Formats: sequence, structure tokens, C-alpha cells
Amino acid sequence: MENVWTIENVWNAIGMALQNWLAGFLPAWLVTLIMDLLVIVVLLAIGIVAVLILSFLERKVAARAGDRYGPNRWGPYGVLQPFADAIKMLIKEDIVPHVADRFSFNLAPVIVTVGAVMTYAVLPFGRNMVAANLNIGILYFAAVGSLSIIGLLTAGWGSRNKYALISAFRSVAQLITYEVPLALCIICVVMLAGSLSTQDIVLAQQERGWFFLLMPGIFILYFLAASAEMIRCPFDLLEADSEIVAGHFIEYSGMKFALFFLAEYIHLFAGSAMMVTLFFGGWLGPWLPSWLWFLIKTFVVIFVFMWIRNTFPRIRIDQVLKIGWKVMVPAGLVGLAITGFVDKLIADTLIAGVVLFVCNIALIVGVSYFMGRAQRQKEMAAEGAALR
Amino acid sequence: MYGTGLLKGLSVTLRHMIGTFVTDVRKFPRRYFRDGVHPTRSPEPYLHGAFSIQYPEEKVPMWPRFRGPLVHLRDPETGQPRCTACGMCERACPHGCIKVEGEGKGKERKPTLYQYNVGRCIFCRQCVESCPFNAIELSRFYELACYDKDTIWDLPRLLELGDKEEIKEQGQFWGET
Repeated sequence: MENVWTIENVWNAIGMALQNWLAGFLPAWLVTLIMDLLVIVVLLAIGIVAVLILSFLERKVAARAGDRYGPNRWGPYGVLQPFADAIKMLIKEDIVPHVADRFSFNLAPVIVTVGAVMTYAVLPFGRNMVAANLNIGILYFAAVGSLSIIGLLTAGWGSRNKYALISAFRSVAQLITYEVPLALCIICVVMLAGSLSTQDIVLAQQERGWFFLLMPGIFILYFLAASAEMIRCPFDLLEADSEIVAGHFIEYSGMKFALFFLAEYIHLFAGSAMMVTLFFGGWLGPWLPSWLWFLIKTFVVIFVFMWIRNTFPRIRIDQVLKIGWKVMVPAGLVGLAITGFVDKLIADTLIAGVVLFVCNIALIVGVSYFMGRAQRQKEMAAEGAALR
Repeated sequence: MYGTGLLKGLSVTLRHMIGTFVTDVRKFPRRYFRDGVHPTRSPEPYLHGAFSIQYPEEKVPMWPRFRGPLVHLRDPETGQPRCTACGMCERACPHGCIKVEGEGKGKERKPTLYQYNVGRCIFCRQCVESCPFNAIELSRFYELACYDKDTIWDLPRLLELGDKEEIKEQGQFWGET
């Protein structure tokens, strides 16, 4: 393969140069093994660096939204704060409750973190920059992403703590509920792109325009479902500190707690990156190199998640499940039907896009109308009961 | 339309987020490491800016009738302490945290020993009320944390604190001179 040194594919070029150098004195199978392990190490490093940046950003955004400054003592503007946090986590005492189920207690953080890191394998960080260009990339992402439910359940059970167990119940209820609309939205995107591979989905958006513009309704559904999947506010019922203290990681301390923390932010980064891939054209963009575009878009989406977290209060678990089953699943099915019909019946890409956009706006207005009507009926019934 | 309230809520947090940056830009070169007393803020209706006060560098000004520890005042002409060791404050103190010893007669009488136990003081201002020579006053100093239990302050320290707090007259900040 040719080795071109440009800003566009500097990372690919570095990898290729390393491979060529290794191939000079090592057998082929060893070169493949070393290169694959190196990719895994790089992905892990990206994960940890992303966590450092995100934990700092989270605190800063939360502070700014609340008219405060946030951490500003260590380093210029407090940028070294995540390292202080990391050192604190590492040197803290590791406590295991003596009634805990030691095996599952110790296993849980590993499952959660590994499940989170594995999602990085199919993220297209740039043109030709995906660790494993699977032809079932999206399916792999959805499957591995929900692996963490097992970890949360294990943590809740292993801690032998009421709050942790309640959180584990909620994780199963909530995450499985929101898998369904998430999958429905992904199917819409896959139908338009005609492929399950993340690279092909990005390339399809080059031809048809960003799917966010084509399907705003589906995008909003996906956004809500994804924030429930990532356990972000207002769907962070699993760690609702005002009711169940800290949720599944209540009994964890030190490095194991840090692993849960790590998994949470790795999920946030991976979920935002996948949203960029599906709806915002992935690494597409003018002038700048593709990997930089991908990072910029991802961080904008992450900022929106943080913004939402600092705006909305948490909703109750019954409301979460009610919205999931009564609103989002039907809306997702309708969206799926719309996308399917439009994609099949209208051959011209431009007209199909316009029709799809109009139908999606109608979907948003319709859902809003029906939810408003249900709310009014509920209020009228309550008034009637009060009068009687 | 159902759900527009969500957008309204988002706009509120965004406005506050931008507002903090706007005030940062306004006082650009020194953002929050300002020294000394923090200026009082008049709240603006929409662009509040950050409200945090960076404590060791910025300090909140105490209100006029704040009752901090006792300080001694100087005679403006001679620069000597006004105290004549009459012992009225010692008698007035409900906790017995003041101890005075003096020597000399009449106007020549000066304190040889003045001990004020700030650890026991309840800042009731009875001593100031009882002083016939306007020699003492409560300061607006409030950083009283210390590493040992030796909380007895002597006369030089009380005078020094009075100079630092720039208290010239008894009841200077109380509106009763």
C-alpha cells in the first residue's frame, strides 16, 4: 500500500510506516499481532484521554450554567484538575463490604468498562480511520453497548445494598426499554444508507445530505433514546443521587469506582460519536482534515448533552418507562414506516429527502399534539375529581 | 405547542453560561485573581456573570456593624494607646476574657498588661459600651482560625490590628459618633 504523508491521513501513515519497519525483521503473523494490539492500546488511550477531558468539561459546563467558575486552582484555568482527581482515586482505600458477593462485586467494574471500550472498535474517527470496518458495525455497536447492563446488574447484586439493587432493577427496565426506539431509529438510518457499516453510512450521507436534515423527527427520538442508554440526565435514574444515593456504584471506592466513572464517560463519548456518525455526517466536512471534523462534531454533541444535564430535572422511573413504551416506541414505528415507504416509492434522492423532511416535521408536531392532548385530558380529569 | 417549555429552559441555562463569559471578557486582563476586598455587585437583570468569590484573593466586605474581635485605638495626637487601665471592660465582660493591670495615677495611668482571650469572647460589645475613654472597639476582622489554642492577644497585637483595620474612633462604623 502507498504511504502518503498529509495531515488528512497522518495517523494512517504513521501506522503504515511502523508496519513496514516491523515487517523488515519480523515474521508476518507477529507483525499482524503487534499492530492489532497497538490499535487496542491506542483505542484505550483515546478512551482515557477522552474521560480526562470530559470530566473536566462536565464540571466547567455545570459551573458556568450555574453562574460559577468551576475548578480553577491547579494549572491555568484548572486544566490539571482531572489529574488531581485521578491521583485521588488511585490512592484511595479499596473497600469491599464483608457481606458482598466478592466475585461479582469485583467482576462488575471490569464488565462495564470493557463493554464501554469495545464500542470504540467501530467508530469511524476519520476517512479510513476505523479500527475494525465491520460490515455489521452498527449492530455490533448496539450489541456491545448494551453489554454494560449485565455489569450494572452484577454490581447491584454483588454489593448487597438496597440502593444498588434498586438501581440494578432500574437499569434493566430502563435500558431494555430504550433499546427498542434506539434500534428503530438506527434501522431508519440503515434503510437510507443501505448498509450496516459505519463507513458506508458516512459515505451515504455524502450523497444524500446529513441524515439530521433529512429526518429531524427520527433524530430527536434517537437523541432521547441515546441519552437514556448513556444514563445521562434527565434519564439518569440509575444514579439518582437524590433518591438512591449513588445507584449501582454506591459501595465502590477507589479504583473500582473510577472504573465505573470511566465507563460512564467512555459511553458518553462513544454515544456522541455514534450520533455524529449516524446523523451529522461523521467525518465529512470542508477544509479541515476528516479526523478533526469528527472530533469537533463529537464535542459539540457532548456539549449539548452536558447543557441538557444542567437544565432539566430528573424524571420519575414510571414516567421514564411510560414515555418509552407509550410515546417513543409508537413514534419510532411510525417513523420507520414513513422512512420505508418514502425510500421504496420515491426513487429521486432530492424529492425523497424533501418528502422525508416534511413527514418528519409532521411526526414531531403530531407527537407533540397527542402528548399535549393527553396532558390536558389528565388535568381536566383531575379538575373534575376535585369538583366532585 | 407541547414541549416548547423545554427549549425555553435550555435558553435560560445557555444565557447564564454565555453571561459568565461576557463578564469575564469585560474584566479581561485579571479575571478572578483580584486582590483585597471584593467590590459589591449590583445585579444585572439577564447577564449576571459568575457569582463566586475566589476567597483567599477576593474577600467580601463586612457590613458596618459586624462584630469581630476587640482592638485598641490610639490617641490621634500622641499615637499612644488611649487605654488607662481603669478595668471597666474587665468588669463588664460576661465571660471574663479580659484581664487588665496598670500603673500610675490619674492621667498618667497606663496599662502594663492587657490580655484579651479571643477564644472565649462572644463579641457582645459590652466592653466597648462600658469604656469611658473610647479606647476600644470591635473590628471587622474575621479570619480567626489558628493552629494552636493560644488565643490570648496582648496589647501590641490589639493595637496593630486596630491600625490595620483603620479604626480611628469608637463607633466609627456604627453611625453613633
